[in-house]
Order: sequence, then C-alpha cells, then structure tokens
Amino acid sequence: MRSIRPVAPVRTPRRKGSPGRGVTDVPTLLSPAGSPEAVRAALVAGADAVYVGLKGWSRGGARGELGWDELVEAHREIAAAGKELRVALNTIPKPAERARLFQQIPALLDRGIRDLIVNDIGILAALKRRFPELRLTASIGCGALTAADAAFFRDLGADAVVLPGTVSPAEMREIRRIRDISIEIMVHMVEEFVLLGKCWMPSYVNLKPSRLPAVLPPGAADEADLPDDAHPGIRQTGSMKRGGVGACYRICQEPWELFDGGRRLDTRFFPSRQISRISEVRAFADAGADVLKLQGRSLSPELLAPLVRSYREAIDARAVRTIPDVGSAELPAAWTVVGR
Amino acid sequence: MRGRNEGRGAVSSFELNTTIANLKDLRESDLTDYDGVYLGDIYCRLYEANFLEQLDDLREGLRILRDQGKRAYVTTYAAPRNDFLPKVQRMLEAAATSGAEAVEIHNLGVLKMAHDAVPELPVHIGGFANVYTAAGAEVLRGYGAVRFTPNYELSLEEIREIAAVCDAPMELLVHGKMPLGVSDYCFLLEYEEKWGTKCPDLCQKELFLKQGDWAMKSVGKGILSGKDVCMLEHLPRLLSEGHRHFRIEALSEGPAYRREVGAVYRAALRRAAGGEGDVDEGWWETLRRHARIGLCNGFYFGKSGMDYSGIRPEAMGSLPTISRLES
Repeated sequence: MRSIRPVAPVRTPRRKGSPGRGVTDVPTLLSPAGSPEAVRAALVAGADAVYVGLKGWSRGGARGELGWDELVEAHREIAAAGKELRVALNTIPKPAERARLFQQIPALLDRGIRDLIVNDIGILAALKRRFPELRLTASIGCGALTAADAAFFRDLGADAVVLPGTVSPAEMREIRRIRDISIEIMVHMVEEFVLLGKCWMPSYVNLKPSRLPAVLPPGAADEADLPDDAHPGIRQTGSMKRGGVGACYRICQEPWELFDGGRRLDTRFFPSRQISRISEVRAFADAGADVLKLQGRSLSPELLAPLVRSYREAIDARAVRTIPDVGSAELPAAWTVVGR
Repeated sequence: MRGRNEGRGAVSSFELNTTIANLKDLRESDLTDYDGVYLGDIYCRLYEANFLEQLDDLREGLRILRDQGKRAYVTTYAAPRNDFLPKVQRMLEAAATSGAEAVEIHNLGVLKMAHDAVPELPVHIGGFANVYTAAGAEVLRGYGAVRFTPNYELSLEEIREIAAVCDAPMELLVHGKMPLGVSDYCFLLEYEEKWGTKCPDLCQKELFLKQGDWAMKSVGKGILSGKDVCMLEHLPRLLSEGHRHFRIEALSEGPAYRREVGAVYRAALRRAAGGEGDVDEGWWETLRRHARIGLCNGFYFGKSGMDYSGIRPEAMGSLPTISRLES
C-alpha cells in the first residue's frame, strides 16, 4: 500500500449525486463501513457519504453489518458531520421475511434514514410503491452495465444505480445520457471472473441455508429473548445473491485443473484483479459520474482510512483543476482474497 | 406442437425446447422431439456464427423452424455492454419482422429496449435476469413478460410461490448443463498461442474445470455445471405442480446429444403426462452416455446445485456433494 500524505485542507465544493444539493461537477465520495469505528474513520478521511449494512438484511459473510443501535448512532455521527448515510438492505428475502423487513422501514424513516441500497427489482418496486419518500439505489448486484440498464432502473423508480468499475469513462459518458437517475460507479473493487449478480458457482458446489441474525429494534434486550417468528429468515450461505459475498466460499480463488476431455491442460485460477481507478477520477467526473463508490465493508478502519483519503485527494485535486498526484490506491494483496 | 396434442391422461400438453447457437448446428440437428428452439448464444458475440450477430442467418433459422412446425424463439445476450446495444436493437427488430414467436431476455436493459421497440413481441424471461421473487416477476410482467425461467438457484417450492402469484408459466431446465455464471472476459484467449487454436474455435473444445469431485464446464465467457441437470425421474412431479414448459440445455452439445436426450424426454414426458411415472432403463443409459461428469438436480430440491436426489444417483456415478468446505 502506498504511503499516505497528510490531507490538504478540505475544500467544500458542492457535490452532485446528493439530494438537496446543487448539481455541480464534483462527484460524491461514497465510502463503505462495516463497523462504528470504520464509520468514524471514513468521515475523518473525507468521505461525503457512508454506506453500511443493517444486520440481518445486508449480504453478510466477511462484510461487516451494524446492529440497530449501531446504525442509529452511526446516523447521528454522520448527520452531525453534515454527511450522508446509506443503508444496504441487499438480501433477497422471501415474502414472509419481506414483510418483516418492511416493518423496519418506518423506524428508519422516523430517524431520517431514507437512502437504501437494494438488490432485487421486486423489492425495489415494492419499497418505492409503499414508501415513496425513500431514496433507493439499485445495488451493483443488480448487474447494470449499460445505458439501457440505467434507463430500466430509472423507470422502475430507482434514484440511483451502481455500475462496476469495469465500465470505462467513455461508457460512463454514454450511460450519463440517461437523465433523472444518479449514476454511481464502484471505482475501487475486486473484479472477479464472473460478473457481479451473475454468479451461482459457489452454491453449485455448496449451498448451506442458515438462520439470519435477528434485527433487534430499539430497546430490545438480545436475540435470545425474541420469539422464533421474530427471526427474519434464512440466509442461503453459498449464494452470492442471497447469502453474501464473503460467505461464498470463494471457490473462484482456488486453483482449478483445466481438462480437454480426459487430458489435463493446465492448473489455473479464475482471472481476478483489484480495480483501482483513482487515476481516472477526473475522467469519470468529466464523463458525468455522480458518485464514486468504494467497495469494502469488511475493511478495518486502518485499511479504510488511507483508501478513502486517497480518493478524497484525487477528487479535490480534480475539483480545483490541479494536476493530481494520486499514484494508485492499493490494498494488501490478501485483502482481495479475504473480503470485498 | 406435438406435445399439445399428446397424452390422454391427466395432463394434455407440454412444450419441450432447446437452444441452438448457429445455422450450422441448426441444420445438423434433428429436432423431431422438440416443440421449440431458442436461437442464439447468450455468452459471446464472437461465438462461431452466432445467430445474434448474423442476422441473415437468424432470419433463415427462423424460417427453418417455422417450416418444421416448431416454435421459433430468439434469445439475447446475458450481459451486454453498451457497445452491443445497437446490434441488439437490430436483432430485436429482425426477430420481430422474421416470425419469431417470442424473445428470451436475460438483461433488464434489453428488456426495456424490447418493450420500447418491439412491444408486439412476447418476452420470455431468461435465467440470468435474476427472477428470485414473485414481486420481481410481477415487475417484469409489466414489460411484456409472458413466461419465466426463474434464477437457477431457486427450489421447486420457491418457483411454485412465484408461479402462484405472477400468473405466467415457468420454463424449467429439465436436462443439460446449467448456466452458473457469465463473464466479460474469455480466459480461453490466453491459450490461443499455446494450443494453436484461435477464437472462435477455442470454445468448441470440451473444456472442464475440475477440483476434486467438483467440475464445471467452460464455454469461454460462460461457466456451466459440469454435471448434467437431470429431472427425468421427477417429471411426474413437475407436471403435477402445473409446469408445462421444459428446456433441454444443449447449447454446448452436439447434434447427437440434442437428438437422443430430446427423444428420452419426449417419451418420458408423454408417459408422465399419461399418468405413468416409470422410467425405462434404456433412457438412463442414454443419459449416462452423454453425461461426461454425472447427473445432478440443480437447485430444485433446495440443496447444492451439484447434488442429486432420487433413486438413481449411485447408478449414474453422481455421488451427492461431499462438502469439503464444511469440514
């Protein structure tokens, strides 16, 4: 990982991709956080917005999730800093589980939390219909890659859609022609061989249903005190869409033998790489990206802070039209294997 | 459609379909036992003479199917990029004007394009469209979807819940290699020089990725199950649960596979539709001969996709998954 220079005084250009703010050409920097400590680290490092998973309703595994009380406290801290909180509710619950999920929404809205990230078109449409005040993002797991995809999600009622960092600035420029939806791009992520949202290799070799952790409403004692029907449902561990990255056994990270008929040709890994498009921050901003998103709810505060700070510097350098000296934003190689 | 007039028992009709990628394969295939065919390779624009790129071939393929009295469907790319879209648009228009009865769509952007450009063309939703919930299926109904292949990860119980709500038929993979993933990148290109084989011939090889008792098939940008999904002995259940549309996934297979496996399922469906559930020993032998790695049930019974539930796994050499990951 490259050394991190001290942060320059933070300029405060207006951002886009942020409701209620003027639209300018400065993209929002959206940081992950998997713990209360990571939330604080992201804020100090210069994130404009932070996304977290709500325990039991976000794809789990190596990713961190916040319990209800932690979420409320994170929201308080983020709002006090003048920043934004987004909550990932990106499992795909069954009907009965969905009803319980929807019961949580008024409590979120009561606390001023209205930015949610979802992973299923049915859930997205139902949430928008029932809670029109929500601001909904179609998760990267929805698989959007094109202008046509962005138009679909806009028509469905999404306020934002997340594209993978494999999308180029030139493609972004084409996609940005779709108006009335915020375009986010995951500029820092692990690209695996199979596209996000289009992989069920892990569950092919091992699918293991397990009970989701309960979401404790404010004031509840602990999970053991809840009746059985209060538990939100089953996490399909091994399923990328329903169980979660990090709980997918990472079979693509293991060596495979390649055979042609009965003849072994090679032993190889599936292609995989860490994408860091920090040197193209200016190109993405010029192409119209509203939000630059970083992957990594499983990151420790110690790893997260320099990553966020690097992108903060790149965005700010771009905003004042200086020549950025951003180098590359890197993480230890092991991180790309153990979590995203 | 043969299936519609067959079976005088409890079930009076069914539809058995398959997939063919190019005109050469279509011309070489005996489609006697199929009711319909989806034309096109969903994984790669460079697949040899892909119907989705060769629009004159697509028109000819649709004509051939119509002349044979088959239902002529066209499929579409699972994960198109922005630069695909103009060609996708032309392909949709060609399908609509050349007699396609429906277009199978795996991508939501393409769904919107079809809805806007060719609203008269019925839409079948493919497995990569990620229909996991009835709510999702209902959304897609609003875009002209009249049939669904739910995500392959769903169990029969979950599929039943969707079917009960969305009031549209499900099309189920009953045999063949189940799609497991799609990529932007073809790693087989790394071997062009080493193997002395160029694209698009690379993915015509029979390539399997193996790790212990796990196996998957590579078709370049696509990953398929190594084992063949086999629902032969479960056809009576599928019919009793109201399913009538079935698919033999033979995109990466040869004409013999398509013909012989199709014949087994035509006969088995006819028998099951007549209220009988017996499975001929010869049918098993045919399926075993064509299954390089073995048989599985996919996710239909809520288990790992490579598991097999039923009376025949040992006979087929398809041992249930040994979960090394859990040890």
